[in-house]
Amino acid sequence: MTKFQVVGIASLLFILISYLRKFRRPAIDKIFIGLILAMGIFFVLYPEVTNQLAHFLGIGRGADMIFYLAILGFGYLALVLYSKIKKLEDQLTKIIRKQSLESIDLNEKNA
Amino acid sequence: MKTYIIIPAFNESSRIAAVLESLLSLNYSMIVIDDGSADDTAKIAATFPVILIRHELNLGQGAALETGMEAARQLEADYVVHFDSDGQHVASDIEHLLAPLQKDEADIVFGSRFLEKKPSGLTFSRKIILKAGRWINYLITGILLSDAHNGLRALNNKALHAVHFRQPGMAHASEILYEVRRKSLRYLELPVHILYTDYSKQKGQGILNSVNILFHLLFKR
Repeated sequence: MTKFQVVGIASLLFILISYLRKFRRPAIDKIFIGLILAMGIFFVLYPEVTNQLAHFLGIGRGADMIFYLAILGFGYLALVLYSKIKKLEDQLTKIIRKQSLESIDLNEKNA
Repeated sequence: MKTYIIIPAFNESSRIAAVLESLLSLNYSMIVIDDGSADDTAKIAATFPVILIRHELNLGQGAALETGMEAARQLEADYVVHFDSDGQHVASDIEHLLAPLQKDEADIVFGSRFLEKKPSGLTFSRKIILKAGRWINYLITGILLSDAHNGLRALNNKALHAVHFRQPGMAHASEILYEVRRKSLRYLELPVHILYTDYSKQKGQGILNSVNILFHLLFKR
C-alpha cells in the first residue's frame, strides 16, 4: 500500500463514520453516501480502474474523470445546502413574524 | 372603512419621526414594523400613535411588509397602503391612490414616478436600472408597469388577502406583480412624487442589488 492510499482510505473512513454518527439522515441518504465513499476507497486501492472507466466515458485520464465528478458533486452539494438554508430562512421568518404579532394585542390597540 | 398605512422601517431613526409626523394629519391608522433595527427607530416610533410591531431580527423589507399585512388582515382592514419610512414618499399622494379602491375601480393601485410628474433628482444610472427592471418584470410576470420598484401602493381587502410576500428582501416589488396576475386582480397605476434626497439614494437599492433581485425572481421556486 502506498502512503497516499493509507491517508486516502483513512480520510474517507473518517468522513463516513462521522457522517453516520453525527447526522440523523434518512436511510436512503446513508446508503447513497456509503456507496460513494466505498467507491472512493475502491478507486484509491485500484487507481488503474479509473483509467479504464475514464476511457469508456471518453475522458483521457482517470484523475480527470474524478476531477469532473468532484465538480459535479460539489455543485450538487451547493444546491442542496442552498435549498436547506432557504428553508431555514423561511422558517425563521415565520417564527419571528408569529412572535412579533403575538407580542402586541391587536384587538386592544385597535379599540 | 378601516385604512391602515403599513410602514416597514429598518434603521430609520433619523427619518422616521418626520415621516410619521407627515402621516398623522391624514387620520389613518398606522402600522410600523421595526425590522430588527439596531438604532432608536422603535423608540421613536413608539412616541407616535401607531401600532408598533417589532421583528427580533432583521428579515428584509418584503418580510416586514408581510408582517404588517398580516396584522392588517387580523385587524380586518378594508384598505392598506405601503409607505416607505425613509421619507421618499409624500403623504398627500395616499388619498389619490385610495380613491380608485374606494370607488371599486381597482383592487390594487401602484404609485409610479414616471407618469405625468417629472421625478426630480433621479440619476441617469437609476433611470436606466428602473427602465430595465420594468421590462424584466414584464418578461417574468407579464405585467408592464411604468415604474418597476415603487414602494408606495394601496390595496383593498381582496388584494390584501390575495397577496402574500414570500421573498424576504427587495424582490417583493416584482413578486407582487406575480400575485396580481395569478389572482387576476384589477390594477392601476397613478403618478406619485418621489423625493430623491442624498439620504434616500444612499438607503435605496444600489445598482448591483438589481442583479440580486433578478436572480431571486428567476430562481424563486
